[in-house]
Amino acid sequence: MGISAVDGQTARARKKGTTSKRERKALFYGLLFTSPAILGFLIYTLGPMVASFYLSLTDYNVFKDQTTFIGFDNYAKLFSGKDELFYQSLGATFYFVVLRVPAVIIISFLLALLLNMNVKGRSMFRTIIYLPSIVPAVASSMIWLWLLNPDLGLVNTVLDWLHLPTSSWLFGEKSVIPSIVLTTLWGIGGTVIIFLAGLSGIPKQYYEAIDVDGGGWYHKLRHITIPMVTPTIFFNTIMTIIGSFQVFSEAYILTQGGPNNKSMFFVFYLWRTAFRDTEMGYASALAWILFVIILIFTFIVFKTSKSWVHYEGDRS
Amino acid sequence: MRESRLKLTAGYVALLIVSVMFIVPFVWLLRSSVMDLSQIFIMPPEWIPKPFHFENFKKALTVLPFGTFFTNTIIIVFSVLLGTVVSSTVAAFGFSRIRWKGRDMIFAVLMTGMMLPAAVTLIPSFIGWKELGFYDTFYPLIVPAYFGGGIFNIFLLRQFYLTIPQDFDEAAFVDGANYFQIYWRILLPLSRSAVIVVALFTFLGSWNDFMGPLIYLKSDSRFTLALGLQMFQGSYTAQWDLLMAASATVVLPCVVVFLVGQRYFLEGITLTGLKG
Amino acid sequence: MVRKQWKFVSVLLVVMLSSIAILSGCTKSDSGNTNANANSNANTNAAGSNGAGADENAGSADAGSGEKIKLRLTGWGAPDEVAAYKFAIEKFEKAHPNINVEFQAISADYDTKLTTMVAGNDEPDVAMMESATIAYPLAEQGKFVNLQDYLSADTEVTPDALVPNITYSAEPGNVIGIGPGPETFVLYYNEDVFKAAGIEPPPADPAQAWKWDQFVDVAKRLTIDNKGRNATEEGFDPKSIKQFGINLPTWWGVYSNFIYSNGGDFLSADGKTLALNQPEAVEALQKMADLINVYHVAPSPLQSKNIPGTNVALQTKKVAMAFDGQWATASLAQSKFNYNVAPMPVLKQPVTTIVAGMFSIFKSTKHPQESWELLKALIDPDASLDVITAGTWMPSHKDWYTDADKLAKWTQNLPSRPSGYKGAVIDMLLNHSHATPTSYVKNFNKIMDVINPAMDKVWLGKQSAKEALDAVAAKAQEQVQGRRDVK
Repeated sequence: MGISAVDGQTARARKKGTTSKRERKALFYGLLFTSPAILGFLIYTLGPMVASFYLSLTDYNVFKDQTTFIGFDNYAKLFSGKDELFYQSLGATFYFVVLRVPAVIIISFLLALLLNMNVKGRSMFRTIIYLPSIVPAVASSMIWLWLLNPDLGLVNTVLDWLHLPTSSWLFGEKSVIPSIVLTTLWGIGGTVIIFLAGLSGIPKQYYEAIDVDGGGWYHKLRHITIPMVTPTIFFNTIMTIIGSFQVFSEAYILTQGGPNNKSMFFVFYLWRTAFRDTEMGYASALAWILFVIILIFTFIVFKTSKSWVHYEGDRS
Repeated sequence: MRESRLKLTAGYVALLIVSVMFIVPFVWLLRSSVMDLSQIFIMPPEWIPKPFHFENFKKALTVLPFGTFFTNTIIIVFSVLLGTVVSSTVAAFGFSRIRWKGRDMIFAVLMTGMMLPAAVTLIPSFIGWKELGFYDTFYPLIVPAYFGGGIFNIFLLRQFYLTIPQDFDEAAFVDGANYFQIYWRILLPLSRSAVIVVALFTFLGSWNDFMGPLIYLKSDSRFTLALGLQMFQGSYTAQWDLLMAASATVVLPCVVVFLVGQRYFLEGITLTGLKG
Repeated sequence: MVRKQWKFVSVLLVVMLSSIAILSGCTKSDSGNTNANANSNANTNAAGSNGAGADENAGSADAGSGEKIKLRLTGWGAPDEVAAYKFAIEKFEKAHPNINVEFQAISADYDTKLTTMVAGNDEPDVAMMESATIAYPLAEQGKFVNLQDYLSADTEVTPDALVPNITYSAEPGNVIGIGPGPETFVLYYNEDVFKAAGIEPPPADPAQAWKWDQFVDVAKRLTIDNKGRNATEEGFDPKSIKQFGINLPTWWGVYSNFIYSNGGDFLSADGKTLALNQPEAVEALQKMADLINVYHVAPSPLQSKNIPGTNVALQTKKVAMAFDGQWATASLAQSKFNYNVAPMPVLKQPVTTIVAGMFSIFKSTKHPQESWELLKALIDPDASLDVITAGTWMPSHKDWYTDADKLAKWTQNLPSRPSGYKGAVIDMLLNHSHATPTSYVKNFNKIMDVINPAMDKVWLGKQSAKEALDAVAAKAQEQVQGRRDVK
């Protein structure tokens, strides 16, 4: 497979059919620079991945002395329809991803624009936006449980006061996933900071050129800012997709998968299967299903990126 | 950049509103850290401790050997920081500024390392490190940082390197520079903001990492701060007042590091000698 | 193209493999025998439990007589609980100078850590376990020593010397763990609230414990809305309640008390069928749900999220009474107000479920006898007296309840032991206790995975207990695998 974010220099090389001296030099240095990372992958990542794939073909139970190779039985069981939670958790996770990814990207980009303005106390504001990401979950989860409490919570109190409809939030079967999305938005500090770094890399001259032409802020946003941060948007989109599919701790800490299994996220179910029910072989099969799903989505975004991601440093 | 007064004021107001929303968990943590156990959970929350229990800090920090935990954390965090910053910037350079056959394919393969839930690789990784004889050492926590420093960081830096115009490299090549010099003199300075982001995330991630130390360490003389914090949770109840005081103490260095680190963000790079 | 790329990959593989070889070579010479038999069982499970965990134990292969023995212990606990264990270990080490105990305290994600340790053949000798989590999965794979043999042979710790229901068995005759102390369930109440309302508080003697209807009646009178009307009065507004009569946690630990009290159970006596959908259990669950949805005297699960700790809830008069475990006396003792305890209200007969952690010995230990001695030291009430008098724990030995001097040591003149304690806790424990369902219901978690979502609907008043449980009974029955306490 070839997830190619960059234009087809390999294709061009192939057409020529010869390997020039310059290309060989590039190959040498390319491998030299990337070899620690490649080695690291082969040593620390690939081994455990291969092991877990092998285990997904077995009935591995950590506590059992014997492990039997059972081929694709685990996968067959998954797709046989017997494991209702498999489908339910997959559905819950997709719903979460669909809601969360656009929300995170749009809101964190807007926040980054705000924080990139030249206002007093900017450092302070940036730090505050990042604070929820470093407050331990035991502390912040208490806050969500209070804010989103259906009866005494601040959010419903305010909604009630404004004569808007209230919600049972984390405790309603329909509202639990949107509510969890909402609580995760407090943790977007990291995404905002990456956007800020992206914004700071935009050459000033570009804006000055628009000033000379008499363009306003919308022009700057539309024609400079957004195109120039597309590599960052791309990065944040990919990472948010990967992270959202693997949502775990919110279900673990806030809801334990409830009410009525409506927030039973895939990785939470997988973790429970692996470490509470000790069915590690089956859990590994679950994990590889998710792997393929994430791979497909990442692949799609990478493929589309050619048409919308603009790399200043990679024009041919 | 000059910005209009109106826009600044509007932005300021928006920032204030957002900040109030985002500071709540931190304030909750701080006020809980000096509260009486029975006041922490009163709902709706009370924001002023009555009375102030500053001795929570003293109790929390003396009941467990936090000095040892702190030293261990510092050793791990700074080793990881150095390894990650060096090896991820180098790797990202190879994946973005040099054009070589198979580059994007190998990069794609590396990306797959993020896509498998960690719950199922935990045990194979643990067994691997243990077989190598590194159980109960810092190596499993530190060494991988020197081998790429994580695909997340490489990917992030790659995205930034790709935005820097190639003209620089070509000009430098003409002047007889080699790849290392281009990496050191051009790419690193121009991508300073991204490198700072990587450093900040690495620091915070390593500082707060719980699962890694939990799995790979066993002697409490090697425990880290993040591992120490969980020791306030009991079999039936947790000592929330002490837990909050200890958590606040552990979080504060992170806040300071972040506050200082983000100051070194670039203020929009200046490309001299280039037309806009 | 393709062939070229394969070449790189193979080169890299060679580099990788050689670096692993170098790394492992180095460590072997560095760390002596720690790895001696590690490489031989690359397949973690193949090696079985024989050599497991032993390679860390200071090379017992060449251990001579009088050699120092190292025992590894894992457990969890708050600092005061850990201190109690450390104190017990110190006493133990003094009595056994040749034994050195290494205690590893893991208070979060204990199961993950222990599972990983087992997978890596790095089991401790003695481990604290929880009956609702991985204790039975481990026991079912024969990972634990059968403590029955030790209990029968021992002169001090025998089945009769321990309080009822704190040993755990995988099947009759196979004891896999012994609890460091029992915990009972009780009814806590704020004495001042009763005084102010002019209501007689619940009797502490189990023989005179409140019947369910008496309890509901009092709960109604102690549920007050914002205008000061109680739940028996005309115009009472269940939407704006200031003080609830009772706080009702809805987890199985609490509702098991009422199911047992009503003559019901989780499984039938032969263990073949689900009993939670039988009339006795359904009636008990429905009566609990009615407290929330019919009488409005208990907060709904949503509302109770605002009522975190029993101590705070009672002290601030958010609730007048609360069901909770005995352990809550520790935090209540620290809150300065007049609280007291009574037995749980009675449906047919007074019952309290006993819950407890346990200590188990891994079969892989090289020193089972020493591990047993350590286990005994850990459950010795003398060693953990601080945590017992603070309120969190109770003694595991029966004579600490029956011998007046010993009883006085941990119940007299202590804020954690109010006047009702003797009847509500001690009498209930000795004469009216029932084993926790996690100790005898096989596949408990999987059954509850089906039951819990159904019960969510009952607590929210969307379905009756009968409707909800009938709807999932067939699915839950599929998970029923029998009882551990019948052959």
